Amino acid sequence: MPETTVSEILAQHPFTHDLDQEERKALAGLATVRTYEPDDLLIREGRAADTFFVIVDGLVAIEMFLPDRGVRRLQTVEAGDVVGWSWIVPPYRWEFDVRALARTTAVVLDAARLRELLDRDEHLATRLFQKLLLVVAARLSATRLQLLDIYAPPAEVGR
Amino acid sequence: MRESVAAAVPADPFLPTAFAVTRVQRETGDTATIALRPPDGDGFVFQPGQFNMLYLFGVGEVPISVSGASDRSDAVEHTIRSVGTVTRGLTVLRPGDWVGLRGPFGRGWPLDEAKGRDLVIVAGGLGLAPLRPAIRHVLAHRADYRHVAVLYGTRTPADLLFRRELERWRGRLDWDVLVTVDRADPTWRGNIGVVPRLIGQVERVLEPANTVAFLCGPEIMMRFTERELRQRGIPPERIYLSLERNMKCAIAMCGHCQYGPLFICKDGPVFPYSQIEFLFEVREI
Repeated sequence: MPETTVSEILAQHPFTHDLDQEERKALAGLATVRTYEPDDLLIREGRAADTFFVIVDGLVAIEMFLPDRGVRRLQTVEAGDVVGWSWIVPPYRWEFDVRALARTTAVVLDAARLRELLDRDEHLATRLFQKLLLVVAARLSATRLQLLDIYAPPAEVGR
Repeated sequence: MRESVAAAVPADPFLPTAFAVTRVQRETGDTATIALRPPDGDGFVFQPGQFNMLYLFGVGEVPISVSGASDRSDAVEHTIRSVGTVTRGLTVLRPGDWVGLRGPFGRGWPLDEAKGRDLVIVAGGLGLAPLRPAIRHVLAHRADYRHVAVLYGTRTPADLLFRRELERWRGRLDWDVLVTVDRADPTWRGNIGVVPRLIGQVERVLEPANTVAFLCGPEIMMRFTERELRQRGIPPERIYLSLERNMKCAIAMCGHCQYGPLFICKDGPVFPYSQIEFLFEVREI
């Protein structure tokens, strides 16, 4: 897909729409648009965290595989959101699986080049990390609420 | 608002009227919807969001929100989760049994205020039951409202209430109905996560300053949800919550459901957030 098209997608996406045009163009230069079919894995736990996904359309699930219990689906991430931040944190290894639940389109950024870009461009780094912090905070808050198991029958509360 | 034909509330608000159980629908493992018909067959008038006191003869009385009016009869529906002696008894009733009923009581959802505006309805768990009459009303008068979104979260796919009706709602193209569960096995292909997160999926079609929100569910879920809504610019006076307390008399005399200067049974159970904001995070109440 041409670079300009990726820029246009990023201009419409809630995560990137308010970046400067030049900043979006720089990100587009590191990105490709990919489509995933249902059940395709976008991210596999333990592998190198070499990509950053901006979800444009569809639905993906964050999962974990437990040897004794199989796959546990933890949360879903939908169009308009982003997924994956292990590329920011050494040793840059994924800690979860991410699987497409529906046909999903994502702008996929090359994480190694993105890290280099952010090292060079402090302004973009600050803005991008602020945005990512909001995503992480919202997801942490949602996870805490999820952990409370607020719909549990009273008999199970406090177990 | 007329949900079915009229029945007179007894002059003595403490005196229950005997209603016959006409139908029992098992919703989930611990929840059932019972349809009740007044003995004179006159039906029952209520506002969406109001509640009744249901008396299981010889056992006790509990407040239960009206969850609908039956399509096929003049019966009024209540969706009840088995959590104690009375509710356990109510969920195992059979057609032909009798229940004492006082009501309806309280202030319901402000459907008139939502006319001409965007409407977001957020339900958590059993909280869908008190909202169902409001949702049905909106569907029956769809042209009166602008964009409508129903966001429903529950524990697992097995805990979804009104499953067939929910599937019909999701099949309509003139509103958004989004469902999420807190946990699911890999056979579930939908959203997983808490219900406030669904707001992000519909916010682009809403005009915050002209949006009304109805919230019902566990109080912690409503707390997280009202924060998300206010953060997006929806005014606190247009965010309505249904609160639950230990209602006994249902007419603001006994004080069991006192909430600061308010009585949930008479002043609520539906309140604008702006009215209860000063109390909402007071832990002692």
